[in-house]
Amino acid sequence: MSKGWFLIPLLLLNLNAQAEDWPGEQWSSSPPPTGPAIEALEQYAFVPRDDATRQGIRTDALLVIQDGRLVYERYAGPTDAHTPHLAWSISKSLLATVFGVAYGEKRFALDDPAARYYPPLERHPGMTLADLFHWASGLDWQEDYEYAPLDSSVVAMLYTRGRQDMAAFTAAHDSFSPAGQVFRYSSGDSNLLAAALENIVSPSRYADYPWTALFEPLGIRHATWETDASGTFVGSSYAYLTAQDLARVGLLMQRDGRWGDRQLIPKDWIAFNREPFARFQAGQDEAVPGGHWWLNRAADPSIRPWPDAPPDTFAALGHWGQALYIIPSARLVIVRYGDDRDGSYRHNELLKRAMAAFAGTVQP
Amino acid sequence: MRRKVLLTLMAGLLVALFGWIWQERVALRAFPDIISAYTAKEYCSCRYVMQQTADYCRGYVKQSVPTSDFVEAVEAKRVTVSGLGRSHSARWIGERQGCRLEP
Repeated sequence: MSKGWFLIPLLLLNLNAQAEDWPGEQWSSSPPPTGPAIEALEQYAFVPRDDATRQGIRTDALLVIQDGRLVYERYAGPTDAHTPHLAWSISKSLLATVFGVAYGEKRFALDDPAARYYPPLERHPGMTLADLFHWASGLDWQEDYEYAPLDSSVVAMLYTRGRQDMAAFTAAHDSFSPAGQVFRYSSGDSNLLAAALENIVSPSRYADYPWTALFEPLGIRHATWETDASGTFVGSSYAYLTAQDLARVGLLMQRDGRWGDRQLIPKDWIAFNREPFARFQAGQDEAVPGGHWWLNRAADPSIRPWPDAPPDTFAALGHWGQALYIIPSARLVIVRYGDDRDGSYRHNELLKRAMAAFAGTVQP
Repeated sequence: MRRKVLLTLMAGLLVALFGWIWQERVALRAFPDIISAYTAKEYCSCRYVMQQTADYCRGYVKQSVPTSDFVEAVEAKRVTVSGLGRSHSARWIGERQGCRLEP
């Protein structure tokens, strides 16, 4: 009889340890859900693909993690669970998360001048690292991709004049505003950060740093991050991860920088990522910039980019419909890879249907 | 009188055009490079990083501007593309580094 009493605390301890799921080599998964809400989600995300016109919504992967378990996974087109998919500008938020590890190593402060770590920025002494994380460098950058290729800074950076040394190309731009005053989305700002990281973590650690700092601790075995000819990571655009591996980064963010028992990234770094840039104004972009992540809330409470998703939703977003959404209040992480060429995909619509399917009890 | 007005107008337009060309000279010189560099780089990554088929990747990189020449050296994992009179190559470097445009 006394033996039984002795076992109760052990049982409780065990229950407690079981309460939190983390992926090991694989995600633990639940049986695939069914029902009208799942059907509605799939009707939106997985319409028949037209590879001739490339019109409409073209989801390559949709993956939902709830409470650390894989609860939904579907692929389309040529993408499968093993495809390291191009993340495009999700890379920017991944870069910020890599910076989070360096922040935990106390290698820099947010108000440090960017020129301290990237000397070509000495022309812009007032520019801090925080300004770059807010896409508020004040540099006169043109982000247009396909519609104004002649004047596009990003096309020139990736493919022509800037491609050998993307950070140097960016740093050579003139200012249109003092740093820190105005939001202007810029892939150049992200690549200035990617270049600054080299001196922040030391050149000898730089080439492996995204792997040693972030990917390996998360159990991500196959990640690619392309560099320019000078060896700087193309932090703006060129990271490749499987959908399942990107979801690991999502779970790290959902759980405030903690991975299992280890606080991999300080909580105050995640808080910075999720703090809206105070000078953002309505209409300047489709979502609200935080510290190199995108938010569903702003300093101005009337701004809600995705009204059908909870206000604590935040995301990493990329060209052609790439998205990693994190909804801490619903304990959800959603990866959506796509190949949308016409801009018809709507974050709010997907989030609305995913909330209905997986967080029925949580009201937005 | 009408001819004079027309000539003045034409001269004004020409000055504006040359002014614009001068102002945009750096961007204009680089412009024809975009299509071949874009196609070579993104095709290389599609094939050797994302590990998709040649057929799929040809469709994936297709843009409205045509390319004239396309050479894929599968062994060397190198792609050379020409278009608008310019030519660019991209090469796969390794699992972590992926593809990069050659200088």
